[in-house]
This record gives sequence, structure tokens and C-alpha cells, in this order.
Amino acid sequence: MNKNTLGILGLFILIFGFTWVSNENFINGYNMTNLVKWSSLYAIMGIGVAFVIITGGIDLSIGSVIGLIASLLALAVKNQWNPTLTVVLLLGLSLVIGLMHGLLITKVKLQPFVVTLCGLLFYRGISRWLTDNQTMQYPGTEGLDSFFSGKVYSFFSGKMLLVDLLAPLGVGMMVVGCIGVFVTFVILLIANFRKSIGWGIASLLLDIPLLVFCILNYREVKKPFLLHLWSGALVLLGFIFAAVGTTGEKFGLASPFFFLLVVAVVAAFFLNRTIWGRYLLALGNNEEGARYSGIQTDRLKITAYVICSFLAGLSGLLFAYELDSVQPAQTGEFYELYAIAAAVLGGCSLRGGQGAILGVIIAAAVIRLLRNSINLVGVSTHLEFAIIGLVILGGVTADEIIKRIVAKRRTAQVKAAKG
Amino acid sequence: MPDARLLLKATAIGKQFPGVRALHNVDLTLNQGEVLSLVGENGAGKSTMMKILAGVHTSDQGTIELDGKPVDIKSVREAQKHGIALIHQELNLSENLDIAANIFLGNEPQKFGIIDRKRIYEESAKYLKRVGLDFPTDTLVAELTIGHQQLVEISKALSVDARIIIMDEPTSSLSQKESENLFEVIRDLKSQGIAIIYISHRLGEVMELSDRVAVLRDGENVGELAGDDITHDGMVKLMVGRDLSQFYKRAAITPGEVVLELDRLRTPAHPKDEISFSVRGGEIVGIAGLVGAGRTELLQTIFGVTPAVGGTIKLDGKELLPSTSLEAIEAGVVLAPEDRKRHGLVLQMSFRENSSLARLRMDQKLGMIDFKSEIDLAEETIKKLNVKTPHTEQVVQYLSGGNQQKVVLGKWLAMNPRLLLLDEPTRGIDIGSKQEIYKLMEDMAARGVAVMFVSSEMEEVLGMADRALVMHEGAITGELSPEQLTEEAIMQLATGNKAAA
Amino acid sequence: MIKKLTIIAAATVVFAVGCGKTSDGDDATGGGTKHKIAYVTNGIDPFWDLCAAGVRQAESELGGVECEIHFPPKGLADQKSILETLLAKGIAGIAVSPIDADGQTQFLNEVAGQTKMITHDADAPNSNRLVYIGTDNYKAGRALGQLVKEAIPDGGEVAIFVGRLEQLNARQRRQGVIDELLDRPSQVLGKIEFDEVAKVFKGEKYTVVDTRTDNFVMDAAKSNAEDAITKYPNLACMVGLFAYNPPRCLQAIKEAGKLGQIKVCGFDEDDALLQAIKDGNAYGTISQQPWKYGYQSVRVLKAILDDDNSLIPANKFIDVGYKTVTAKNIDEFWNEKREMAALGAKKD
Repeated sequence: MNKNTLGILGLFILIFGFTWVSNENFINGYNMTNLVKWSSLYAIMGIGVAFVIITGGIDLSIGSVIGLIASLLALAVKNQWNPTLTVVLLLGLSLVIGLMHGLLITKVKLQPFVVTLCGLLFYRGISRWLTDNQTMQYPGTEGLDSFFSGKVYSFFSGKMLLVDLLAPLGVGMMVVGCIGVFVTFVILLIANFRKSIGWGIASLLLDIPLLVFCILNYREVKKPFLLHLWSGALVLLGFIFAAVGTTGEKFGLASPFFFLLVVAVVAAFFLNRTIWGRYLLALGNNEEGARYSGIQTDRLKITAYVICSFLAGLSGLLFAYELDSVQPAQTGEFYELYAIAAAVLGGCSLRGGQGAILGVIIAAAVIRLLRNSINLVGVSTHLEFAIIGLVILGGVTADEIIKRIVAKRRTAQVKAAKG
Repeated sequence: MPDARLLLKATAIGKQFPGVRALHNVDLTLNQGEVLSLVGENGAGKSTMMKILAGVHTSDQGTIELDGKPVDIKSVREAQKHGIALIHQELNLSENLDIAANIFLGNEPQKFGIIDRKRIYEESAKYLKRVGLDFPTDTLVAELTIGHQQLVEISKALSVDARIIIMDEPTSSLSQKESENLFEVIRDLKSQGIAIIYISHRLGEVMELSDRVAVLRDGENVGELAGDDITHDGMVKLMVGRDLSQFYKRAAITPGEVVLELDRLRTPAHPKDEISFSVRGGEIVGIAGLVGAGRTELLQTIFGVTPAVGGTIKLDGKELLPSTSLEAIEAGVVLAPEDRKRHGLVLQMSFRENSSLARLRMDQKLGMIDFKSEIDLAEETIKKLNVKTPHTEQVVQYLSGGNQQKVVLGKWLAMNPRLLLLDEPTRGIDIGSKQEIYKLMEDMAARGVAVMFVSSEMEEVLGMADRALVMHEGAITGELSPEQLTEEAIMQLATGNKAAA
Repeated sequence: MIKKLTIIAAATVVFAVGCGKTSDGDDATGGGTKHKIAYVTNGIDPFWDLCAAGVRQAESELGGVECEIHFPPKGLADQKSILETLLAKGIAGIAVSPIDADGQTQFLNEVAGQTKMITHDADAPNSNRLVYIGTDNYKAGRALGQLVKEAIPDGGEVAIFVGRLEQLNARQRRQGVIDELLDRPSQVLGKIEFDEVAKVFKGEKYTVVDTRTDNFVMDAAKSNAEDAITKYPNLACMVGLFAYNPPRCLQAIKEAGKLGQIKVCGFDEDDALLQAIKDGNAYGTISQQPWKYGYQSVRVLKAILDDDNSLIPANKFIDVGYKTVTAKNIDEFWNEKREMAALGAKKD
């Protein structure tokens, strides 16, 4: 899992660097503010669907749930409902939607694809019917906030100015990262010399032979090697932070980022540290096997669909506030595909049983970064989809090939061990 | 058979897989109309050797001669052209097609590019007759039992004029009766001049069938036995390189209190049959019977995966009618299922994660995994069960069958069960691990646990069970005490003959 | 339950009447009863509600016609089945906005063979439609270019935002804007040469730096605007060709803190844009006055059914024109739009 996430981070840094070189404005605070904001919005959806994909299922209704929740929010605002109550009710509704999906899939034993495909059509239709398919717009471009209290506005789409903190933070990350790189370099070098002096001398001069050595002896040097790479990534990220911090343009973190932060921490904890997360992974790999081990698979699957729809509902609210306008027929359309793409690119297998939250977040950022990059580099607007499709395909292919090589090596090792 | 004509001669075959030497200097000869058995522990190279002969793999070294002429077998199709057919352990039939279509699949006789259906049905009928399968040729394969499907596979081999038929563990999922039927067919084929290479872990069968036995160990020839020299002990000695005369010996025991008590229990698979019996602590009870007799279903009902439709189950005197496996597990009932890969393990997860899968719930702190006790458990399991894995993080998919079964058992032993249910505990497991698993069952019994196992291997029931229950078509047809426990008695009951018991 | 029964009964009656009508259809158009005509859009959109308002307005003002309005919910197939149903009912006249003019020509000819058919908003030039009621989008585009010139008289960089360039009207508008800003000679509708997408157009004072499409995805519309602000620090004016584009541009400008610094000119009459014009944050917009489409469609169809072909010009194109809206006439225009929106939102 770690390796996979590192790979997608590598892809991110690659595109990031390329775009930066192509257009110096890319790094300015305003653009970074936007990039973080959109990436966060996509990542929240992606994390939701990741849970469903981990169970071996799929949720195609995400975009329509977003549309429904956004439309209902707009309707409620129009009818001057209590804003806090509305938000609570709508999040409750998205939980109920997920529960229905889960029950239909586990108890009635319908296929997830079918259930959520019907959901896709149903919620979209309901949104359009409830709103008479009217675009919901509000006097003044401030949008919904004039109907809600200012507090809610600052809660949902207000921005915090962090520009002063950013540069020192970046420098700090670079320092820590450099120390990490150096220490792990020494550790790896020692391991290298132990294996062969020639390798060691070669690695002493250049980092590349060292990396090759590490990949070849992955199992033995796993920990320091990953730490080495992560430290390298930290240096690069710190460099980016410092660069953004010193452009002088104002950089802010939009509230979707803080939502993502909470969602991501909770999701990662749930998946990796709790027994339910472990059970979820187990049932995704082998549902029958999990059932025979006393795991209540149905309940867990329902939970996954509830999480997915809840996060879709939350995204619906965030998108509505972000765009200040809701089109019942269009808001959220096809977002499920971006969410699924983020989840898959981030290391979730559609066969189930695999997933890493950090990977999904970085993958969502890659997808948004690509769009930003296409606009800034000045590629024809018509090529946008083609490029996004190609990059995702490339990423997933590379991942699959690496996995296969690892599996082959492992089988060979086991066979060799057996003699 | 001194005057038999030499059909196939393989000399100094070698095969290297990345990092592994699978075969080294293996010689093999086969005469016309002969049954040659190939035995050896798992990983000894039997399957690789056969795959080379059948064109699935190509050899790195060595020569193969057919009828005295060297041949180069590069693909399955070429092997078939030379008259070599391999019948895999997992059958390769399309269940949604009928018998005739399966026999001619990929080899359909055509008239002007259109499949000649008439000929397919006429010819298949001939082949079915040769293997003694009495079914209309338009029967769907899905409707056949595994044993009959096997015969369809053999018919398929005959349809391409195979002179050498290789069978890889053909009886692993057959009942005793089906196996015997298969042996009949094999003898019949032999009399028609067809040579058979037979791979099996079941040495009883090998003794019964073979003219000659070739033994492989670690990818090399270790010896050959012919005629009267083919004995159980002789083969085992060659296979493991050590003397195993102590193979099955279960000492007499004094059972404890009643642990499990079934009273008129009815399973969903056989809702009309009522099952009543009890098992005491420290006892090992074998459940014998033919495949499809309802043995697996009985275990699954006690374990809660297919809830009972009537009757009662008592565990240590307390009523327990589990509707989920979780209820059974919490009460102390565990099951090592027949299909390990599907039901027993999460193949893509690590050894550690599999070992703790059931135990996790008990060691949690507010839902959080206790990683330390998880690792401790995994390391303890490796030590206690002598699991051969490089480390606790190994993905269990890559472990051997025997070690995988140990993972399943380790997972349940961590739960300190009261009743240990095992379904075909040693299927597809090499002899070394088999013994360890028997030892484990005995250890559990010695600790007062009630052990109940289902097995289609007669020797296993005879050797391991303190007492045997025999099932036939969903009902228990008899119970055999140690004194009554003979192969013949089991067969009588398993075929529904109650009077004999 | 009663409601359901009523629907079934009503459906049966409609079916029976429809069968009767097709057998003696001549009767319906000849008598002194009202002409039954249908107004078919290419989808569901607030724009079409404004058009519907025009239909209703004409229906009550002109008299002698009874109009039904159809919004095909999802594309070509829906539009086709609606048209087929209308024919089966024996409708006297149809005004339709074809979704795919070339692909539908044959089918549209079938429709035209059985009833009086005109096109509105989008044309099907190769079909037998009696007349096309629409806007010269190229001219409108030039007018928009003119607005941009007024907004930034000193010149500067201009970026264009649009939903989809596959649509003819979008291409015509864009070309109009570019030609006007580069002071090229006027082109004739129908023979316009379109410039490629990925190209910078440098004129004497004005430079069109980019055209970005969003495929009607709202967050893409907004992020396109954001990215343009990032990429072109000296951007002087943003031009949104579809109704939702200008509001997204305004949002992005506001968040970048560049309100007033970057001007916005748009198309259509989105409330957010009108508000911005009123507040001085946007310069102006070109409105097609959708209600005029509806009104003209009914007026022309009624005349045709009354055997009066004088309204049909030789080139079979009726240009309903456009209206330039700036701070000067914003209040007057907005009031008119509000009235129309209220009328259009009324459901029968």
C-alpha cells in the first residue's frame, strides 16, 4: 500500500513540476488555493467510493446524490428553512440513501451496479422534478450565504489566510526531509556494502544505483527504503510550500480542505486501525471466507454504502456553496466517474480488498492538477478528456505491471524456499 | 510386462522456473497399455513433468521420444496430435453445454463450415459407451456429478485418439464409489492399449491400480517400484526419504463429558432427515460417507452458516441454534472448511491478518486493533503449528496447501474452541503436513476439545477416528465403534445398507 | 386511485381522438375551431421557460390557437418520440428546435410531410421546414465584441468561455466576437469561416488569448475561469458565451480579488449576470430575448395555418434579433425578464 501511494505521489510531483516549468504563474497563491480547494472536493467523493470499492462493490449514484442534496439545499434556502436544520436533515437523508443501497444489495441481493445505476437515474429525476428543473440562483453573486448566517458561510467556503505560515512550514519540511534522506541514505549504503562492495561504491557516488539496489532487495530494506523515498517527497513538498509562500500572492485554504482533513483522518483510522476496517478489507478479498470467520459481512457492506452516500451528500453541500448555483439536471453529473477514477488510481482494486486513503487523496489531486495543467500549459480544450483518460490509464497500467512483477518474484521466492 | 512395447521415453528432463529448479534429470518411460503412477510430495515436480509431456510447459533440457522417434512438444495442440491428453485436477468443462458439445469442444466436425451436429451426437455416444457413462449425449454437463464429468473429460481425450492419458489427482473430489467406477474405466482403457499416467496422493488407489510406480522427490527421480514391490510403506519411504511405519496410530482414549448433542436436527439440504448423536470432549469422531451424503451440510449447520430448519443443538448442555457463524464461534464452535481457499482463508491477506481474523474481535480496544497481540499471536502460531512461512507478513496465497491449512487451524486454535469441526482436513496436502495436522487434532482432543471431522479418505477415518458415523443421503445410517471400524463396514453403511452394521 | 383511473380514462380518450383525427385530419384545420399547435424545445432549461412565456403570450394575445409545449428531457430519442406522438394526435403545426439538424433531416421531412413544421432557435437547413425563426448568432457575436470594445476601450487580453464548441451557435458567436475585436470584415451567416480553437488572435488593440470549453460541467466552468486568471495576469475581459459562463467568471474574479479589474461581458440573461451589471461588476450582455422565439413561432405558425404566407421571407429565415443590455437599460430589461419568467413558470 505504501509503495502504491508513493507511486501516485511521484506522478503528482512529475505533473506538478512539468506544469510549473511550463508556466511560472502556476505556483502563485491564487492558483494553489484553487487547486487545493478542488482537489479536496474531489478527494472527499473519492474516499467515499473507495469504501464501496474495497468491498468489491461500486456506487454509480454519487453524482446524482450530489445533485439531489444540492438541489434540496437550494430549495430549502428558497423556502427560508432554518439553515442548520436543513444541513443536518440533508446529511441525514444521504445516510438513509446509503442505507437503502446497502439493504438492497445485501438483503435483496441485487447487484451494486444495478442498484446504484437506478439510483443515478432516480435521484437525478427527483431533483429535476422537485425543482421544476429550474436553475437555483440567488440575488447577488455572494450566493447562498445571504440566506444563511455568515458563520455558516465562513464554515463552508470561507478561506483562511495561511500565507505567512507557509514559507517557514515549507523550509521546516525541507530540513526534516533532508535529514531523513541523509540518514536513510547512510543506512541503505551500509546494507548495500554488506551485500557487495562494488554496489556500495557505485551507490556512494550516485543515488540511482542505490535505488536500483533497493528495488532489487525490497524486502530486506523495505523500511529504510520507504523512509528514504518519503523523506525525498517531503523535501519536494516543502520546496513547493516554500515557493508558494514566497510568491506573495494570497494563498488560502478553503473550507473543503478542512472537511477533507477530518474525513481523511477518520477514514484512514477506520480502515487501518479498527477491526471493522480490517474486516472490510477481508470481506472485499473474500466475502465467503470472511463470513466463515464470523464476520458479519452484510452489516459491513451496508456501512460502506452509508459512508459513500454520506460523503456524497457532504460533497453536494460543499459543491452547492462553492458554485453558488445549482442546476438540478447538471450539478454533479458524471462526478461518480471522477470519484471512481480517483479511487482506482489511488490504489483501490475494483476486485475489492485493497485501498489506501492517502492514495485516493493524491489521486484526486492528480486529476484536478491535470485539468489545471491543461488549462495553464495551453493544450487545446478539446483534448482535455483524452489527456485525463490517458494519464489514468497509464497510472493504472504501470501499477498493475509493478504488482505483477512483485507477485512473480514472491512466487519464485516461495518456491525457492520450498526447494 | 517384459514384452510390452515402449511407447514414450523421456530422458534427463530439466525445467527451471525463475529462482526455482522444478525438475532435474528426470527420466520416465511408459509402455503401451500400462498404468504408471507418479507419486511424490507436493512440489516434488509431478505436475510440472506432466505439463511438459502435455505441452503446457516446455522443458529446458532433455529429450522426449515417442515410438522411438524424438519429438518436440511445444503446445497442447501438438501434444494432442501425438496422442497425449492431460486431464487436469480442476476439470475444464463448460457446464452450460451438453456432453456431446463438450467432448468435441474446439474440435467440432464440420460440414461446409457448419457444425455437423448429427455426427457429434453419434460419435459422442460411442465414446460414452467406452467409458461406461450411461447418459443421453444431450445432457447438460452441469447436471452431472463430478465423477461423471470426469468420464466426459476422458471421453474427450478419447475423441482426439489419445494413446496416453495423464490424470492429475482424478479422485480428489470423487466419492469412493465414483472412484471405483473410474478405476474400472481405467482398467478398461488399459485393455484397449491406452497407456495411463496416474498422479495421486492416495496411495491405496495407487497400489490398486498401478503396474509401475515412479517416485519423484525435489524434482528428481528417487526410485521406481513394480508389481508386488508396490506397497504403502515402500512408496512413503521413497517419497519422504524416511520411514513412516507409524503413520496412523491413534491410541485408545477415555472420553470426557458430552460437549455436543444433536437432537433431531434437520439441515436445509436434507430437511426430511433427522440427525441425533452426541460427541464427548477428548473424542475424535469421523464422519464417513460418499460425496453428497450431507456431511459438509451437517457441519455447516452446526457452524451456523446454513441455519437448521428443525431440531436442537446443545453445546455443553446449553442450547445453541446458530443462525450466523458468529454465534457459533462465540459459543466455541469452529470449522475448518472443505474449500480452504474460498471459505477458510483470505488469500490476498498476510499470514498475520489471517491468523488473527477471528481473534481480532476479542483483543480489540474500543474497536481498535491491538497490533501487538496480533503479532504475538502470529508468531506463536508459527511456532506452535510449525508453519513454514518466511515471515508473518507473507501473503497466504503463496503458502503451500499444508501450510494454508495450518493457518486455518491456527486461526481457530486462537479462539480456544470447545468443538473443532474439520471438513476434509488433509485434502491436497502432502504427507509431511498431513501428519502434523493429525497430531494437532490429537492434541486438541487431549485438551478436552470435541473433534469431529469429515473425510472421504477411508484410511484417514480408520486411522484417526475413535468412533465413526456414516452418512447416506442426508441421514446417519450407522455408528461404528473402534472394534467395528473396518473399510467394509463403512462402505456398507455409506451405500445405505443398514443391516450390515 | 381515482386519480389513476382518470389518467387511464383520459389516455383512452386521447388515443381515440388521436385515431379519429388522423383519419379525417383535414377537418381540424378547416373549421373555425382553434388551431392546435405544439412548441418543442431541445431539452429542459430556464432558457426554454422564457421561450414558453412567449408562446403563452402569443396564445392569449393572438387568439385562435391552442398551444402545447414539450421539453424533451433527455436528448434526441425523447424529442423524436414526442414528435411522433404529436403526429399521431394529428397536431396542426409544430415548431421544433432540432437537436441534430443533419442527422434528423429525414425524420424532420416526415414530420413536415404530415403537418406544418417550422424550426426555431436551431435550424435544419436541409429539411423541408417552412421557415426558421432564430438569431443570427454571428451578428449577435459581433455585437458582443462591440460590448467588449466599450468595456475595455484601451484594449487588452480577452478570454472566451463556452460550454461546447460542437454547437453551431457557439461557434458563430465566438467567431463574431473574434472578428469584431480584430476589426475583420463582416461575414455572411451560412458561409462563415471558423478559426481553430487553440490559437491566439492578436489584433491592434485586442488579443483573444484563449477559448475554454467546460461541457456544461459547472465546476469546470468555474475552474476554467480561475485558471485563466492564473495564466493571464493581464487579462482585461472575460467573455462568457453561454448563460452560466458569466456568473462563473464573476465568482472566480471575486475570489481572486479582481472585481472591476477584469471586465465581464456575457450572453443571455442569467440573474447573477444581470445583478452584476446592475452593481457595475460586469459590463453588459447580449440577450436573444427568448420569449420572442416563442412569440414569433406561434405568430408565424398561426399565419401559415390561416393560409397567410406573407410572413415567410424568401430566405426562409426570420431573425428575431437581439438586445444589448448594459447598466443603462438594465432595470427595464430585468423587469421584462421577470414578467416573462413568471409567465413561463406557470404550468398548465
